[in-house]
Amino acid sequence: MPAGLATYIIRRLLLLPVILFIVSFATFSLGRFAPVDYVEIQAGPRAQPETIERIREERGLNDPVPVQYVRYMGNALTGDLGISTRYQGFPVADVIFPRMWITMQYNAVVLVLTFGIGLPLGTWAALRRGTWQDPLSIGVFLFFASVPVLISVPLLQWLFTVKLGVLPSGGWSEAEYLGVELGIFSKHIVLPVLALTLPGVAGIARYMRGQVMEVLDQDFVRTANAKGLKASTVVTRHVARNALLPIVTILGFELAALIGGSIFVETLLGIPGIGLLAFESIKSRDYDTIMAIVLVGSTTFVLAMLLIDIAYGFIDPRIRVEGSIE
Amino acid sequence: METRRLVLTLTGIAVATIVVLGGLGAILLASGGGDDDGTTAGDDAEDDGLGERIDNELRLFGPDPITLDPACASDAGSAEYIVEIFSGLVSFDLDLNVIPDIAEDWEVSDDGTVYTFNLRSNVLFHDNSRPVTAGDFKFSLERALNPDTQSTVGEVYLGDLAGSAEFIAGNADEVTGIRVIDPQTLELTITEPSAVFIDKLTYPTAYVVDQREVGDATCFEGGGWTLTPNGTGPFKMEEWDLGRKIVLTANTRFHLEPAPSLDRVTYILSGGSSFVMYENDEIDITGIGSVNIESVRDPNSDLNADLREGPSLNVFYIGFNTREAPFDDANLRNALSLSIDREFLAREFLLDLVVPAKGILPPGMDGYNESLPDIPFDPDTARDLLEEAGGAGVIDGATILTSGQGATPSDILQVVLAMWEQELGITVTIEQEDFGLFLRDLDDGRFEMFSLGWIADYPDPQNFLDIKLHSESSNNEAGYSNPAVDALLDEADRETDEATRLELYQRAEELIIEDMPWAPLYHGKANYLVKPYVEGFVIPPFVIPNLRYVTINR
Repeated sequence: MPAGLATYIIRRLLLLPVILFIVSFATFSLGRFAPVDYVEIQAGPRAQPETIERIREERGLNDPVPVQYVRYMGNALTGDLGISTRYQGFPVADVIFPRMWITMQYNAVVLVLTFGIGLPLGTWAALRRGTWQDPLSIGVFLFFASVPVLISVPLLQWLFTVKLGVLPSGGWSEAEYLGVELGIFSKHIVLPVLALTLPGVAGIARYMRGQVMEVLDQDFVRTANAKGLKASTVVTRHVARNALLPIVTILGFELAALIGGSIFVETLLGIPGIGLLAFESIKSRDYDTIMAIVLVGSTTFVLAMLLIDIAYGFIDPRIRVEGSIE
Repeated sequence: METRRLVLTLTGIAVATIVVLGGLGAILLASGGGDDDGTTAGDDAEDDGLGERIDNELRLFGPDPITLDPACASDAGSAEYIVEIFSGLVSFDLDLNVIPDIAEDWEVSDDGTVYTFNLRSNVLFHDNSRPVTAGDFKFSLERALNPDTQSTVGEVYLGDLAGSAEFIAGNADEVTGIRVIDPQTLELTITEPSAVFIDKLTYPTAYVVDQREVGDATCFEGGGWTLTPNGTGPFKMEEWDLGRKIVLTANTRFHLEPAPSLDRVTYILSGGSSFVMYENDEIDITGIGSVNIESVRDPNSDLNADLREGPSLNVFYIGFNTREAPFDDANLRNALSLSIDREFLAREFLLDLVVPAKGILPPGMDGYNESLPDIPFDPDTARDLLEEAGGAGVIDGATILTSGQGATPSDILQVVLAMWEQELGITVTIEQEDFGLFLRDLDDGRFEMFSLGWIADYPDPQNFLDIKLHSESSNNEAGYSNPAVDALLDEADRETDEATRLELYQRAEELIIEDMPWAPLYHGKANYLVKPYVEGFVIPPFVIPNLRYVTINR
């Protein structure tokens, strides 16, 4: 690994604690400033106000917010993510990691499909420039990219479960394959994958089409064609590689969009993943779980972005940090 | 042209991807698609992840419980499981009578304060390790009351026990009202006689837990033991996958008749619409709401024959802040109540899913007064009463507090407000709050009007009239205070003759309706779809252990 890259990575990693501090403190304070806490919500209408107050005091909910924050983060740094109150009395780690595994499974399928279908589709559309297929495909892409999951999910649900009766209306199931519990071969995965892949493919294809068209107009493509290279070689070696460059950045945004989309998709379809858990945790003021989701989520996201930046460097040496000349 | 070859290559890649994925999808769909035919268990088993469906299994869509610790549960969604897995001294049968459970029988002292329970000797914990003793009950009840356990409801249901206040305050090491006479005899002493103390013992807070398993777990820490709860109820926990499913199996040694007939009960805790799951034969019973009720009521519907209706012990009402002007005026409250067309609300707007209220107590509850006259829809009298109260000006612009998180508050409330506007010419605005905040504002009396429902804990008028409308009750949000009503309620609480007691409650209810501290709107009904092969399922009007009566007869 070139020296420049190593410093670059270290510099980026040093930023991680700063980002985590800002994100976690904001989340923590916002949660505590909400007007009611989990003891009150859990207690319901029958409990005595004095009982609620006593439990709140004992659980440290009356302490100043910074004190509570330091206490939580101190534990979190030692690996103790706290105790869930939505699943009362269970350690947060026991609650969130099985949920994350579910969300990761269908999102991995979505990512593979989005890029696997979107990139060739976009390139195809670019190469059909000037024919009737081009505006048609743009229209279709725009349509699917614009339909929010809040609308597409109920429509898909209606079509596949009520009308056709071929898919379960929601939920999640797993079966064991080679000793691992996997849900990617179950029919429960079809609806969430469709709901997230359709707009994803459309977005990527639309973007890829623009990139390819831009590259096709460049001098070096004309040169490559002129010197008699095979068309497939021109596309794979020259066009695709150059068009892909900005697409790698899109991967990061796609990842962020998926995390956001998961909350809607899981809530609408009742998939017990991390998105549904986040939604329920906020509803029930499950402070520790919300914090853990935010901490783990933002760490993952920052690391993923870092990997993308590094990948960027390998695809295009020009982007690698100045000073390291190969 | 070179571009043509290129296009072909790319199209080839795309087509190949789609074909592979499509093929994969088709295989999956084919393997799990057989809904209508006899659905051989093996096929579905792998795909729905719920294990192989056995003959004698009931599948339900259940609420995702907050806790399965009996000492801590404060919501119906949690209690639904707890009453099947655990049990206590007494429980309710399907006719809502209190029946002996782990207790074989009991005696009450002449002054009505000392209950002596003789325990059955053949009740074992689920792991068959040992019989339940009076000592287990002492541990379990004290645990629910112990402040260290941090239960929000321990005191609510067990606070009648003598010495509980000292114990909660930390001034005593034990609750003096709980005495172990011998391993098979438990003596409970309450501070003053109460007709409903025995009802409160049916609630999970009074259930027995295995102290060797629970140890010092509290409501907020160490909840892991509830994954493998060593209970005494009709069903045992087989598996709890948090947020996904709960699987129960029959406790074949259960001490009451009938013992469970089902071999297994599987609850699915997450998924899409339970109605669609029912249609697709994924579950055997489902509740049904206003969205689907019309289609099911159609006699041509396949599901029409599966529709069952039962009472639900609850009341939905609009409460007034009777402590402050202008709602301290009974004329004003009656004016508002008389200008609500309850028939329209229940029959037309809520599609007969509810019955119009004529009092506080719901039909099906002991003491329900059949002969109570309907609250009429009488705008003329309402307008006269409003004039007496000072005219529309005293109330115009008032707010009504409600709970909710959605963008639009309850449709029902909007209909009521429209009726008030039309009949009385007053404009009332809705203020919507998060449920927890809403409850706090009610407790603190920071409201003019509010809308709320109340669901029975036990089928006794005390649970509605005394708890919600006695001037000294902490649950009396309306701040209603009528010495005559208080006197009747106190008298009823001490009365031991059941018929006289219920009559006292009915007289109190009549006075309350005259004062109208609440405008009761309607009582809900429970509507369910039940598969024809499920027999013995009785719609519970509130949470009671009812699965051991269910049989499957295919």
